[in-house]
Amino acid sequence: MALNILVVDDSSVMRTIIIKTLKLTDLPLGDIWEAENGEKGLRLLQEKWIDLALIDIHMPVMDGEEMIRHVRENDQYENLPVIVVSSESDPSKIEMVHKQGATFIHKPFKPETLKEVIIAITGVSNEVKD
Amino acid sequence: MKSKIEKVLEEASVNTFEDTCFMYQVPELNDVQKNLTLEAAAEVKYRGDYTGSLLIETRGGLFSAIAANILSIDSPSCLQKKDALGEVANIICGNVVTSLGRSKQGYKIESPRSLKKDELLKEKRQGKPLAEITMNFNEGRADIKFFVDGGFFAKEKKG
Repeated sequence: MALNILVVDDSSVMRTIIIKTLKLTDLPLGDIWEAENGEKGLRLLQEKWIDLALIDIHMPVMDGEEMIRHVRENDQYENLPVIVVSSESDPSKIEMVHKQGATFIHKPFKPETLKEVIIAITGVSNEVKD
Repeated sequence: MKSKIEKVLEEASVNTFEDTCFMYQVPELNDVQKNLTLEAAAEVKYRGDYTGSLLIETRGGLFSAIAANILSIDSPSCLQKKDALGEVANIICGNVVTSLGRSKQGYKIESPRSLKKDELLKEKRQGKPLAEITMNFNEGRADIKFFVDGGFFAKEKKG
């Protein structure tokens, strides 16, 4: 199964870093969608089939916390696996992420770390691509 | 002997360049690297129990190389270079502030901003950084400085 992934971060550079790192995991990837804030991310979730979302915390318009709250409240994708990728250091914020059923990855991160987390929360196997 | 914060700054900087920029240090400063002129700088401010900033300066082509490596393009635009350097500063700062001790309200890290040369001169008057590191790459050099307003140890003594 190839994973369709949504990457939500207000920094285009950071989105590029995440996508580049995703490709280095050698996991089977399908379509990768990008959004610059939570609001646009939610719109993509309604329009596309997405298996996993990687979301930043601090973003304008709608931040990561609010986006995840909307995700969990929506029957259509309440069980969506979510990874929060951030340089956030505030323990209460990180705890909040866990309470929302998301996994936290601290920046910077290695492809191996991302791969382990993705396998753990999506159950995707490291099968040969295509 | 290196302080705890210097070690954290070094570890965070090395990891960020390796994992984010896919760039690896070269071991020694040669004469050319020592005399490289400043090309760009970015600053990230933080607020919490302590306030201060992290400053990163690049020399000798590193400014462009960081963006080129991250974005996998040959000629990044000026905006892409600034964004890439700012993101590097943001990640390093996020890792270093935790070593200042647990802040009750956590640390708020502001968006990175590029500094102009006159602002850099002003920065030099701010005093000595709490920790600093120089990193050398084939593409140039980075000087990374971590500041605490009012001094970390002064505030520690006041308690």
